[in-house]
Amino acid sequence: MAEFAWKLEGRCHKLGHDVPHAGGVIPNWMIAGRYVDPKELIPHLFEETDPGFHERCKPGDIIVTGRNFGMGPKMNGYIAMQALGLGLVCESMPFLAYRAAIGVGLRVVTNCANVTEMCESGDELEVDFQNGFFINHTRGIRREYPGIPDKLQEIVELGGNAGWLKQWRQRKQTRAT
Amino acid sequence: MGLTAAEKILANKCGVASVVPGDVVEPDPDWIMVHDNVLMSVKLELDAAGITQLAAPGKVILVTDHEVIYGSPRAAEKGAFNRKAARAWGVEHFYDVGRGGHGHIFPIESGMVLPGMFYFDNDRHSTNAGAVGALGFRMGSEISRVLATGTNWVTVPETIRVLMRGEVKPGVYGRDIGFHIARRMRELEMEVDYRVVEYAGDLDQFDRAARTALCSSPTEMGAYGVFFPPSKAILEQARVLAKRAFTPVYPDPDARYEAQLEVDLDRLEPQIALPGAVHKAVDVSKVAGTAVDHAFIGSCGSGMYEDLQAAARVLQGRRIAPHVRMFIAPGSEESTRRMARDGLLQIFIEAGAVMLPAGCGPCNEAVTGPLHAGEVSISTAAANNPGKMGSRGAQLYLGSPATVAASALAGAITDARTFSFAPGPGDAPPQRQPRE
Repeated sequence: MAEFAWKLEGRCHKLGHDVPHAGGVIPNWMIAGRYVDPKELIPHLFEETDPGFHERCKPGDIIVTGRNFGMGPKMNGYIAMQALGLGLVCESMPFLAYRAAIGVGLRVVTNCANVTEMCESGDELEVDFQNGFFINHTRGIRREYPGIPDKLQEIVELGGNAGWLKQWRQRKQTRAT
Repeated sequence: MGLTAAEKILANKCGVASVVPGDVVEPDPDWIMVHDNVLMSVKLELDAAGITQLAAPGKVILVTDHEVIYGSPRAAEKGAFNRKAARAWGVEHFYDVGRGGHGHIFPIESGMVLPGMFYFDNDRHSTNAGAVGALGFRMGSEISRVLATGTNWVTVPETIRVLMRGEVKPGVYGRDIGFHIARRMRELEMEVDYRVVEYAGDLDQFDRAARTALCSSPTEMGAYGVFFPPSKAILEQARVLAKRAFTPVYPDPDARYEAQLEVDLDRLEPQIALPGAVHKAVDVSKVAGTAVDHAFIGSCGSGMYEDLQAAARVLQGRRIAPHVRMFIAPGSEESTRRMARDGLLQIFIEAGAVMLPAGCGPCNEAVTGPLHAGEVSISTAAANNPGKMGSRGAQLYLGSPATVAASALAGAITDARTFSFAPGPGDAPPQRQPRE
């Protein structure tokens, strides 16, 4: 297996506090309709707050948010972010929102106090999601935030819960034979 | 440093001496519960991963409670799929249509969930386990990993202590206190998200049904678990019902709590949660007289037998207002049978209420008994966010079972204490138990 890229380098897309998942990240009709195909979700990521986002962003770009990002245990928007190769850095997230993001294999760190004061949209950022190192190259700022806990790194590396389960089954079969 | 009750239960189930908030652990559950609404997607996900055998089929409880009476061909298809899934997995504890009831009520009433237990559930109302001193955690769609491997990761939550002081007045029920607690949590801007709420203080006055009701509002505020230290009465009930040994768990005296909320019970009046959220609680007198079209008693918050009794005491010998439609969804099939034996069924039917099968009733996305825009409901549903029971334009008030019954009779929101009533057939001892 190729080395997993824990470190992302790209442009900052900064959002404020209390961005809800429904509407703020992805339209509610896609959540209610249980859309989970990244191809269908991508064109609608941040559609209601930042139209055309999916065309402007590039793999490696990092979404930086304020407090209480992505209310609700919904995963649809994170599926789109993961498929686009984006990372997510939050001042805070409701726990089940964080769990949903980890569950789809998104590179995500939370509890990054005041991180929205360390960057503006367009800044060149570098974030290592394994250990939480945050560098803003544009402003010469370095911070150390909590990385993804050791026990959860494997889930992210394997692309989320579905990948983790597949690997778990393969290992079990290998042990059995 | 001592442990809170939730920390102690999680440590026990992980085979370690202690855990602290923030630890990522994989507890070994006593039960694994999945309901009819998600079973199909979980089964398809596991099939796609090539996983056809469960880690511990004997621990799995499958429950049909969200859509008991199929209202569409799609629901019937789901039901057929679920039955096949239960057979394929070899699940013995399969409570299909007409067999168990509400998955967050009947396992507590029947003693499947016992003090000190821990279980995983796809649904967040697993918090009800706290009523008997157990702990239930929601896994959402990740219940698939629990089914496959026997466990899943959990970050140990922080615990908030809710200290109850004083005695509730007659006519004030668990739900009333719950709405009040929700309001206080909101006013204090208390962080409840992913916290365990552990009750303490003057708790002996609360029976199992009141404790179950008190698990509801904190859950709607974002709590991940709720816990009551089991009283002597709760342990007594559990011993009678238990089919296996259990060890009750209590918090250490020097446990660390993230926050504490003190609740003064002495002067609390019956509460109404105004449309929008459970924390929008006001004294019933503030909204008395508001006309209602729809009434519902049941849900994980008020589906215990004692809740039905409280409503029946008000309804006995009376008829609901002609313009009100009223639905009753008992929490368990056993409750429905007991209601027939005790005469409660007669009371509800003669009052003009419609009996639903045990389960979630209209509280599940209004698959039964929805409202139209502009209509007004008063119910014991778990929540009252816009659209919870049909049209987003409907007004959803919440109250205790007694308040809902009184309001259905009057056709408008009413304080149940304005009705006089005598103990009826099958009446349980009063809600309050003598102090120990």
